[in-house]
Amino acid sequence: MSIEVKNIYKSFEGKKSDKLSVLEDINLTINDGELICLLGPSGCGKTTLLRLIAGLDQPTSGEIVANGEVVEKPSGDRAVIFQQYSLFPWLTVLQNVTFGLEMTNPGNKEENIAAAERYLKSVGLIEFKDSYPHELSGGMKQRVAIIRSLLNHSPILLMDEPFSALDMQNRHKLQEQLIGVWKRFENTIVFVTHDVDEAVYLADKIVILDKNPGKIANIVEVNIERPRKRDSEEFIALQDSIVENLDMGD
Amino acid sequence: MYKNFNLSGEMFNNYNNKFVPIILPIILIFIWYLLTNGLGLFSSYILPGPIDVVKSAVVVIQNGKLLTNTVDTLLKVFAGLILASVVAIPLGILLGWYKALEDLCTFVISILRPIPPVAWIPFSILWFGIGTVPAVFIIFMGCVFPILVYTIDGVKRTDKVLVESAQTLGAKDWNVLKRVVLPSTVPYIVSGLKVGIGIALMCTISAEMIGSSSGLGYMILTATNLFDTGTTVVGMLVIGLIGLVFDFIFTRIQNRIFW
Repeated sequence: MSIEVKNIYKSFEGKKSDKLSVLEDINLTINDGELICLLGPSGCGKTTLLRLIAGLDQPTSGEIVANGEVVEKPSGDRAVIFQQYSLFPWLTVLQNVTFGLEMTNPGNKEENIAAAERYLKSVGLIEFKDSYPHELSGGMKQRVAIIRSLLNHSPILLMDEPFSALDMQNRHKLQEQLIGVWKRFENTIVFVTHDVDEAVYLADKIVILDKNPGKIANIVEVNIERPRKRDSEEFIALQDSIVENLDMGD
Repeated sequence: MYKNFNLSGEMFNNYNNKFVPIILPIILIFIWYLLTNGLGLFSSYILPGPIDVVKSAVVVIQNGKLLTNTVDTLLKVFAGLILASVVAIPLGILLGWYKALEDLCTFVISILRPIPPVAWIPFSILWFGIGTVPAVFIIFMGCVFPILVYTIDGVKRTDKVLVESAQTLGAKDWNVLKRVVLPSTVPYIVSGLKVGIGIALMCTISAEMIGSSSGLGYMILTATNLFDTGTTVVGMLVIGLIGLVFDFIFTRIQNRIFW
């Protein structure tokens, strides 16, 4: 499913009616099955852009078209994986994972549970299916959240720095798993990050945003073959060239 | 100086003795006994001693009055509380979720809420006469607002990320309310019920003293009129005990809610 971002402007009402402009003149085409990273310093509006694509917020002007339809509200077609852990604390892992299916495909309880168990098994979380979220580590929680969205067959996954709270080892492991999942399910993924290494590892295309106000500074195609090696020459070269041209502002 | 402070802190806080909570009651009962039955400083009508109270307790237990009146009071408390919950919980969820609805109701709630439930006694008698119904009405008026306010508060504190997750998983408004907002509000609803049941107990006793012919409040008042103040104390202690049990139950429930 492709996404068209057309002439998007977004500003928030500040104090004394000063308008705070967050995004200006954003134009972007995301092709079906593409994995793109939105990269930029904090405050560049990358999360805001993701929320607009999700339909959780509305643009001040411009429009976003997903699969031929203008985005007006959130939908099961565009799942969001949040930076904060977003599992329902009162549901077990299995109940969390089947939540989306119960919304989109109710009445097939046994089928839903079987599918959920199959997915949990594939990422090694099956023995935690009756655990509650507070009993899981941060990495496990995000894996469950990702499975919850995948199981729902959301063609678009919108990910807002989902691994930023994890230690490096876990982050690398989850990045690898994400690539595996994406290859298998062929979702369109928009991944927000402030980590250049993460962007270079994951993306087909890196969209670099400037801040004050948020504008697209550059779009970098990543033509490194997967699986990507962090110590390969081309990986390091690309990373360096992005870092050089990137004003992280802090 | 700090060293001394720490030492005394340790002395008072690091002990392990389950009997501490019953030391004070034993001392109080002993003083009570000395002042009344022991030294006879007060007549048993003005302040009945522990022995008078035990004697009265035996009488009301044997003739079944204590049981029937306690059951009667409890039934009213439950009826009032259930009615209040049925109204306040769904209403609270709607008011907490739909801002316009809350704005519409805010004045009415703010004005009705501070009115003490017992102030409704005159109308409850005019409308419902004497008996169980007016008492249930008073309890309803007493409980409905705390439960409502706690529920509204709980809805507003629902984690926005959970609501948005549900929406992006395909949940529509009704399912967001039922599957996310309601469970996330449960801890607040339980707190509201805990406050409500305390108020319900107070309301019941007051209502029974004025417009009723049964219940612990009625028992307390009629016993006093018959100079049987031992039974009055029995009634008061049973009310205290009921409150204690409810508090224990609700604390257990609160501990079981882990989110």
